[in-house]
Amino acid sequence: MLDFSILTNNFDSFLEGLKITIISSLIALLSSFILGTLIAVMRIAPVKLLNWLGSVYIEFIRNIPVLVIVFFTYLSGNFGGMTAGTIGLTIYTAAFIAEAIRAGIMSVPKGQMEAARSTGLSYGQAMRMVILPQAIKIVIPPLGNQFINLVKNSSLLAVVAGGDLMYQGDLISAKTYITFDTYVFVALFYLILTIPLSLGVGFLEKRMAKSN
Amino acid sequence: MIEFKQVNKFYGDFHVLKDINLTINQGEVVVVIGPSGSGKSTLLRCINHLETISDGILTVNEISVGDKKTDINKLRRNIGMVFQHFYLYPHKTVLENITLAPMKVLGLSEKEAKDTAKHYLAKVGILDKAESYPSQLSGGQQQRVAIARGLAMKPEIMLFDEPTSALDPEMIGEVLDVMKALAKEGMTMVVVTHEMGFAREVADRIVFMDEGRILEEAVPAEFYENPREERARLFLSRILNH
Repeated sequence: MLDFSILTNNFDSFLEGLKITIISSLIALLSSFILGTLIAVMRIAPVKLLNWLGSVYIEFIRNIPVLVIVFFTYLSGNFGGMTAGTIGLTIYTAAFIAEAIRAGIMSVPKGQMEAARSTGLSYGQAMRMVILPQAIKIVIPPLGNQFINLVKNSSLLAVVAGGDLMYQGDLISAKTYITFDTYVFVALFYLILTIPLSLGVGFLEKRMAKSN
Repeated sequence: MIEFKQVNKFYGDFHVLKDINLTINQGEVVVVIGPSGSGKSTLLRCINHLETISDGILTVNEISVGDKKTDINKLRRNIGMVFQHFYLYPHKTVLENITLAPMKVLGLSEKEAKDTAKHYLAKVGILDKAESYPSQLSGGQQQRVAIARGLAMKPEIMLFDEPTSALDPEMIGEVLDVMKALAKEGMTMVVVTHEMGFAREVADRIVFMDEGRILEEAVPAEFYENPREERARLFLSRILNH
């Protein structure tokens, strides 16, 4: 039988961890979305050097374990655990978001860009006001999945003392020696976050299918 | 106003435009016809630099289109374009489709841009659809919005790339009527189309292309009654006699 005293005795720690997990995930989501969009545009912009830089970023980052990236940002020595972890998550997730958004941009008919450019809009304006709004609508479901992955990956903050849910679990299990039960509660807290997200993504997918 | 001098264009090894020489004067309506793959759309798309020319000189208002020093965005303000597949922005209302460029490119206030947009929507006969989204409109209505979008920049030149080819037959008339009215007002127009009736009635000049070359240039009456080129004769007999 599950030892609920672990939950009740350490409730504040769990809540603190949950808070940090949520904050870190939200910050990483927002910044990886911005960074990812930028890299996606670099990959398809009509400038060879930018295409190349974008590809290099994606290929390098996608093919390094996120744990290693988080170690690097932490070992750079400039940041505390939570900040280093969040930056690492951002760098990693941005590569996947960039690929999703690039696919979205490619799925917008080429004529949309031509029509916008033919009215005198610059490439940047056309991208921002005409192409990206359409592309992002298309990639909302895959972005939702990235966000769920991001929340789960944020557990890596624990290895750099980031204070998140997983880290609190580590502390509690070290204190109580009731390892299994502690991590059951940790898992439940993650589910509280990810199941609504997952349902939300499913809902968006259905709505998207309708509007098409 | 628009001048092609010995213009050539290649896609890799494929020679799309061959020694094009063509002058289009202010207020003229030039209709470009020819079989598919003859390069007529490419010719049109070179004028506003959606395609680049490989060699020769192409000028609009004495400004070289392909020149690196030319501010292409500035040049394009003056050249409206209407596409076969409309390409309205699906995430914006009809009004927003039309006001976007005047606000962002010409710096009009929202009110000025809306007034201009409504003026042109009234002109193309669909003011009542201002708040609709493109997906709620018929093809003919969408194309008329696309024309209004081009006109809202108050260009001196309008390019039409097969504007009725994607339309149901019933809707072709409403779009051609708008174009006819525009021609009457003295708009400089270059039109790629298969609508022979329109070409005959509205064009000041017909340009017949085949395999990347301009084979014949003539006033409509002359071209339709008595085409000089054998290829033009064949083309006309195929599309007129069925």
